[in-house]
Amino acid sequence: MEEDTLLEIKNLVVRFYTYAGIVEALDGVNLKIKPGEILGLVGETGCGKSVTSFSVLQLVPPPGAIEGGEIHFNKDGKIIDVRNLPKDAIRQIRGKDIAMVFQEPRAYLNPVYTVETQIGEALLTHRKSEFLKRAIEALEKAGKKSSFEKKVYERMLKKPKSIVTKILAKFSRQKTLKEEIRKEVVNLLRSVEIADPERVAKMYPFELSGGMAQRAVIAMALSCQPVMLIADEPTTNLDVTVQAQILNLIRELRKTFKSSILYITHDLGVIAELCDRVAVMYAGNVVETADVYELFESPLHPYTKALLESIPRPGQEFKSIPGTVPSLINPPKGCRFHDRCQFEMEICGKVKPKFIEVKKDHFVACHLYGGQK
Amino acid sequence: MDLSTKWEEIKVAWEPRIKEWKFMLKRMRESPLAILGLAIIIGFVIIACMAPILAPPTGPDPFILKVDTEFSVLTPQPTPPTVKHIFGTTGEQYDIYYACIWGTINAFRVGLLVVVIALIIGLVLGVIAAYYGGIIDEILMRFTDIIIALPGLVLSMALVIAFPTIIPLDITLIILVISAILSIIFAAFKPERKFLLPTQIVLFASLLLYIYNPIFIGLNLSRLDKVLISLAIVGWPGYARLIRGEVLRVKNEDYIEAAKASGCSDLKIIMKHILPNTIYPLLIVVTLDIGSIVLTAAALGFLGIGAEPNFADWGNIISRSREWISSPDLLVQHYHTFLIPGIFIALFVLGWNLLGDALRDVLDPMIRRR
Amino acid sequence: MSSLIIVRNLKKHYPIFGGIFKRRVASVKAVDGVSLEIYKGETFGLVGESGCGKTTLGKTILRLLKPDAGNIFFDVPEDIINEIVELEKTNPKSRRLKRLREQYDIATFSGERLLRLRRRMQIVYQDPTTSLDPRMLVKDIVAEPLVAQGIAKGEEAKKMVVEVLKKVGLGEQHLYRFPHEFSGGQRQRIAIARALVCKPEFVVLDEPTSSVDVSVRAQLLNLFKDLQKEFNLTYMFISHDLSIVECISDRVAIMYLGKVNELAPTQKIFKNPMHPYSQALISSVPIPDPKRRKERAPLAGEVPSPVNPPAGCRFHPRCPLVMDVCRKKEPQMFEVEKDHYVACFALAKR
Repeated sequence: MEEDTLLEIKNLVVRFYTYAGIVEALDGVNLKIKPGEILGLVGETGCGKSVTSFSVLQLVPPPGAIEGGEIHFNKDGKIIDVRNLPKDAIRQIRGKDIAMVFQEPRAYLNPVYTVETQIGEALLTHRKSEFLKRAIEALEKAGKKSSFEKKVYERMLKKPKSIVTKILAKFSRQKTLKEEIRKEVVNLLRSVEIADPERVAKMYPFELSGGMAQRAVIAMALSCQPVMLIADEPTTNLDVTVQAQILNLIRELRKTFKSSILYITHDLGVIAELCDRVAVMYAGNVVETADVYELFESPLHPYTKALLESIPRPGQEFKSIPGTVPSLINPPKGCRFHDRCQFEMEICGKVKPKFIEVKKDHFVACHLYGGQK
Repeated sequence: MDLSTKWEEIKVAWEPRIKEWKFMLKRMRESPLAILGLAIIIGFVIIACMAPILAPPTGPDPFILKVDTEFSVLTPQPTPPTVKHIFGTTGEQYDIYYACIWGTINAFRVGLLVVVIALIIGLVLGVIAAYYGGIIDEILMRFTDIIIALPGLVLSMALVIAFPTIIPLDITLIILVISAILSIIFAAFKPERKFLLPTQIVLFASLLLYIYNPIFIGLNLSRLDKVLISLAIVGWPGYARLIRGEVLRVKNEDYIEAAKASGCSDLKIIMKHILPNTIYPLLIVVTLDIGSIVLTAAALGFLGIGAEPNFADWGNIISRSREWISSPDLLVQHYHTFLIPGIFIALFVLGWNLLGDALRDVLDPMIRRR
Repeated sequence: MSSLIIVRNLKKHYPIFGGIFKRRVASVKAVDGVSLEIYKGETFGLVGESGCGKTTLGKTILRLLKPDAGNIFFDVPEDIINEIVELEKTNPKSRRLKRLREQYDIATFSGERLLRLRRRMQIVYQDPTTSLDPRMLVKDIVAEPLVAQGIAKGEEAKKMVVEVLKKVGLGEQHLYRFPHEFSGGQRQRIAIARALVCKPEFVVLDEPTSSVDVSVRAQLLNLFKDLQKEFNLTYMFISHDLSIVECISDRVAIMYLGKVNELAPTQKIFKNPMHPYSQALISSVPIPDPKRRKERAPLAGEVPSPVNPPAGCRFHPRCPLVMDVCRKKEPQMFEVEKDHYVACFALAKR
């Protein structure tokens, strides 16, 4: 893996074993994200974008299974093979190094807990020692140097796993710790541009509007300062004015937190607005990856060209791509796009094109550009 | 239109539904418990159908048990299984084998009748309450609550004691009341004209008959039938609530509004759209209930509120062994009086339960697949 | 152009019940005084964000919902409408007015007359999965309007169903199948066939392409255009996707919190939006061209709840041009340039 890559996915294969048959959801996906960049992953429904994002964190739901390929993550200079990580190791990464934001925010917030409780839970899971230290400092400043509470915190720092610690922790009300966490939650909510964060922190998810809920979820995702954020269609269900606010927010946050973002969407307008690089997916493959200006200016893959042409333009006929997305249970042989492609050649139905670099940093999987190598 | 193309058309029209059923059967075949349940039920059905062959009837009414006079003279105690009486006899010398075989028919009758009556009442009330909502919903649901509060056991006892065996029913009055209610419903909810007019004709005809020449029919209710009625009365609220929940869910779906936009009347929407989409959970509960109804009826029979003493019914036979419960040695000695009919009951209930579970496993994904 | 539909001051409120006796505590003012005209043969676009009342407006015009106030005139001669307007101003209690309204204003229709009206106006819903009865065959689904209206039955109905299925790109082989055997695009075609089978004049398209794949959207939109030409249909195209509305509509109305802010021919409204909300809305749409990225300040705040809309102009809490009068009085629509109507005090001043 290259020096300056944060996450690299090579030849990822994912299959779902269903009653109706084996769904070849991902058939060799290749992606690379550099630190600090926004990579857009665009494709239609069912092309495998969400499955790709779930695979990174080993969250593919059964009956699906990752069956091939490699996923490497650069954590503080060490290259980790994420695909084969054991369960507790991957839990360390989830939420802390790589965080996810989903499409319907209120579906991913527990309806019976307030926003404060849920973000607080995320903070406690990953940054507990930091908050314990802060609580101890706060107590010292308040002059309560030898209180029971302070002793409990110190013990929780030193021996977090012993049974005595756990019993003692139950006896103490941990007021200071909770106060520190609450302050941090309010700060986080303020950083995602929620007006009146104190009041919103105490709200339940059903009281939040779509935009606010999505901001709260983004706050939760950013609470542990992840080095990478995966956003799976976060603005698809939102109104267009709220979407503009959230896109602005994401741009601001990228500047402050310097995290990379894998932004998944089917909206080419959002891609053009937000992303640095773009990867185009079709039926379980990444067919083209390029810098965003390059992609819109000179798309190479026929599917990308067809997608860009199908954007509605006033005064013109609506152009569509003939045919339909193939069923992934019995996908077409060779290139999966060949039966809808206007440049189809004989080899396209037989041999799957390889994903190669045609121009600098511009990768395509198409026989038109020598995909046989 | 010649016959062959008509047949072709029917085949084509039913093809997708047949495909659905085949898919259902395939899922069921995969679960051994489902097959077991189905096998048990089919076994009982065979027994019920072949009852005249398996146990030749002893008289004009095959359900009346005959006392075996040979043995009754000899001993007042139940005789263990012998060649003549395969399962033995009870204290009164009723043949247990005979009672179990004919009791199968009775079990089906009890289970199916109660469930069908309760289902009809529950369906009608539940659908009307949920579809029209508002104050109708309130009234019907409070009425349902009252019925739920009725204790089934006490109700059965009351009905058994209070109703005479032969109830004189004034048919003309019943037709009068039913047609009055129907004509009010049709007038209020405005479906097609063709329903209202004949209903009103029937109404007036029965009114005339009632005034001038009421017709009476004696309804012969055996004790078991009264128990049946009481079980049905206590059973329908469950179905009403269940279908009400389902109808509330379906009522706000787009396709119901689309049917209204197409101009369908309320009745048509209920019959063609709402019922087919809401009936599935009810079917599951119904199969499970058949078993438990039979069990309840048997329990009531054991307590003495069931059939007459010489009626071929599982609960009845077990109740014959009430005398032997007190002493453990007698219990073990006369095991055949309660164990064998008990096995019949247990197997019957087990079969329906397995079938109901299998149906739920099969229908649930089918519902979700849509 | 002659008008097919004229809506005057339409209001639809949903009551909220509370308290022990379930009294009407408040109401969601979904549509709160909307007046517009739809010309014969045009595609009228209706845009707005969620909660603005556009779907409610479409369904109320179709009389799937009963309006709480206002008139809806469907294919009524102009002189009668003028007479009604006059009478309402001069003599609102006259019996002639009452009779005219009962005869022409479909807001008052019910029963048999409403049933006959349904044949002339239909709706295509957003989600084809829930708008088709999953337990009915396609043949029965599409034939339902014919049977319910008493237009045709049996064989004759089947012939008409096959005819309309062919027009939407399906065929006789699809008659005896269940909806779940089809893809999303095909299901939407079945829904369109159902809407067109009794040959209506006016069709409300409620976000018909939102639940469908991007590649299928263009096919459906082309189908709408072809069908409009062939059957001489008038469309009301409701959507929150401004780019599609820009391409398919002849005129566009922008709604906010139950009222129409701006109404103009498509080109005018997208090139030169006048109302501050329209400007914010149109500039919020991301443009699929990275070279035209704008660093613009998005519209601040959130849409208030329609239960308690702000007093005066609904938009005033978020409006950059807000004045004192905006907080107290509601602006009326006026013609700012030819065919271009706006409801805004700040613009009226100029």
